[in-house]
Order: sequence, then structure tokens, then C-alpha cells
Amino acid sequence: VLPRMSSKAHGSNNIAHARRTVQQLRIEANIDRIKVSKASADLMNYCSEHARNDPLLMGIPASENPFKDKKHCTIL
Amino acid sequence: MACQGLQGGETVASLKRESESLRKKLEEERKKLSDIELNQVAEKIEVLGPLSIKTRRVLKGHGNKVLCMDWCKDKRRLVSSSQDGKVIVWDAFTLNKEHGVALPCTWVMACAYAPSGCAVACGGLDNKCSVFPLSLDKNENLSAKKKSVAMHTNYVSGCTFTSSDMQILTSSGDGTCALWDVESGQLLQSFHGHTADVLSLDLAPSETGNTFVSGGCDKKANIWDMRSGQNIQSFESHESDINCVKYYPSGDAFASASDDATCRFYDLRADREVAVYQKDSVIFGASTVDFSLSGRLLFAGYNDYTINVWDVLKGTRASILFGHENRVSRVRVSPDGTALCSASWDNTLRVSWAAYL
Repeated sequence: VLPRMSSKAHGSNNIAHARRTVQQLRIEANIDRIKVSKASADLMNYCSEHARNDPLLMGIPASENPFKDKKHCTIL
Repeated sequence: MACQGLQGGETVASLKRESESLRKKLEEERKKLSDIELNQVAEKIEVLGPLSIKTRRVLKGHGNKVLCMDWCKDKRRLVSSSQDGKVIVWDAFTLNKEHGVALPCTWVMACAYAPSGCAVACGGLDNKCSVFPLSLDKNENLSAKKKSVAMHTNYVSGCTFTSSDMQILTSSGDGTCALWDVESGQLLQSFHGHTADVLSLDLAPSETGNTFVSGGCDKKANIWDMRSGQNIQSFESHESDINCVKYYPSGDAFASASDDATCRFYDLRADREVAVYQKDSVIFGASTVDFSLSGRLLFAGYNDYTINVWDVLKGTRASILFGHENRVSRVRVSPDGTALCSASWDNTLRVSWAAYL
């Protein structure tokens, strides 16, 4: 059973809490990052690579039952 | 808890100053890499044509608000849970109800299908998450086989099986997330860091490794390492509760839905928000999001009963789906990307897909 979240910080907990916050922020501040331009290019590439296999984007023939098993061509 | 005294030279004030300067450093590091906006990079790609997504099936049977649903890996069955304690397993093709179980509690806010398709998990105001094996015998009383797995000290808001039927991950109003062994009910790892109710979680796509994202009433979205329990990254840009978080299919990004009437998109490698999906005419809270298979479309359900379909890259709205007669509580794209299921406080679930003649 997990302890309930306490909304009040007691005196001695203030130090422990402050220390945990500093440790957490150190971890977050020091991670490796890439530029938004590179991240955006990768997101766009993923979308374009998978677009033709996206049935909600491309649609399926109206006569087809969407719940039957389909045989896909997968790009290896 | 055993509490250490202050260490050499350290005061609460000096620790506060250090955390302030670290926060500033974090902001500066993120800003340095913001050389362009996602929607600017996306200007060169074609605008989406009109989408032909329409509701094709309505699943009626719940007697009260439908709060959650999850697809089975077989791409046609789904499980849904309701305010009145009922959990139903449906065949979305035939509209048959294959199983039903009544939980002794109300507000079953979370339900999930096991990867094998042989069990479902659900939880809510009972502060627990229980697993029910699904029997082939329709007459069998599912409640008899119920297994209590997770125990929180406040409501369970979300649950998901991990890569197998053996472990479940839960999020709770007690401010924590937890990983449990289904067989023994043992707590394997707990995740502390949110400072208010956690409302949603999502597991990273399996290729990306052992992480998950959570979001909650502290307006934060956190990324966690499942093995160590460590909070790896944290994002705070929403102006109100985050109701739902969902990974982008590549695992490199995630989206969130919030009471601040926006959905947002965060890239994990750039470590920042890269899009905000909003419109002046959209003023009601967003409760749920999910991506289409390619990640190009983001389906978002709102408290104004609509589903907005956003162009993830361009940041514009591609379509709007009407039909529900009350809040949309959950949207989920089927495992092969063919259909969208939406659950609502109007007691129904709707299954929609795109068809061309």
C-alpha cells in the first residue's frame, strides 16, 4: 500500500524536499538534447513513411469490412 | 522518515537558490535549440485533403457514463467501463456483448485489455486495479475469478498491461504511478514526483525501451524509467490539469489533453513543447487524445461533445467529428489504425472509420 500524498511540508521535510528537487533538476538539466529543426524533420519523416498505410488518413474502400483480417504489403 | 540534518553549508534557502538557477539553466538549454517551429518546418508539406471519417457503429448497452475503453490486439474486440460499475467486452464488428461484469464500486475510470486477449484489468473509486480472466464460457461468472492486483490510497485513474499479461502499470489520485506483478499482487516499482492526482499514463512503444509518460493535476507531464523509478524528463506548459497523455507512434514524442482547452505536443529528444493545438472557438477542456497510425492525425475528445482532428505537423484542425450527446471521455485508434473508438458520458461508444467509394 502506497503512502498518501501529503500536501503539507513539515519543517524537517522541507530540507529533504528541497534536496530532492535540486537532484531532480540536475538530472533534467544535464540530458542531451537535439535541435527542434532536427526533431521536426524526424517527426515529418516518420509521418510520410507511414502515411500510405494509415487507414484513417487514406481511407478504405467503402465495400470493405474494416474488421476482417487484412494482408498488408510491408516495406522492409 | 529518518531525516538527515543539513549538510555542510547547505540551508533550505541555498537549496532553493540552486533549484532556481537549475530551472533557469534548463530553460536556457531548451531555448538554445529552438531554432525553428515545427509548423514552420511543416509548411513545405502538402495540406491534408478532406477526411472521410464517419461514425459507422454505435455501441449501446451501458446504463451510465462510459469513462474508459481499450481495444484488444485482435483489432475488433474492445472493453469499456462505466460510472455504474459495469465493464463490458464487445465485438465491435457484430456489436455483440461478449462478457459483462459488475464491479462493486462506481466510477470505473480505467480499463485495459491484456496483450493475450484473455483478460481485462479495471479500476476506479475502489482504489484498486483488478484483473478478470475472460472465459470462453459466456455463462461463467467473471466476478468469481477476479484478482485484486493494485492497491492505491486513492482512486485509480489509469491502467495498462506492459508487454505481457504479467505486469500492470497504474496511475492514481494518490499522486503516484506503480508497476505491479499480476500473479502475486506485489508492488514492483513506484513512481513519485507528481504533486497532485495523476490522471493518465501511457507506455512507450515497445521499440523505444522501458519508459512511460504520466500527466496530472499538477499540470505536469513526466517521463519515467520503469526499472529505476526515476523521473527522467518533466514538461510543464499546460495551464490546467492534464487529463490524458499518449505517445506518438515512433516513441520520440507524446501529446497531452488538458482542461485548459488545448492539446500539446512534446518532442522528447528536443526536450520541449513543439506544438499547441488550439482555436479561439475551442473553449472546453480536452479529456483524451490518440494518434492515427502514421502520427499525422491527432484525435482529441472534448467536454463540448466533439472530437477535433488535428494535423499534428501543421498545427491546424483537419476535421471535426460530431455525434456524441455528452462529453467525450476517451478516444482510441484500433491497433491496426483502421478505426477510431470514442466513449462518452452519453452512455455510448462510437466506432468511426474513413471510407471512399
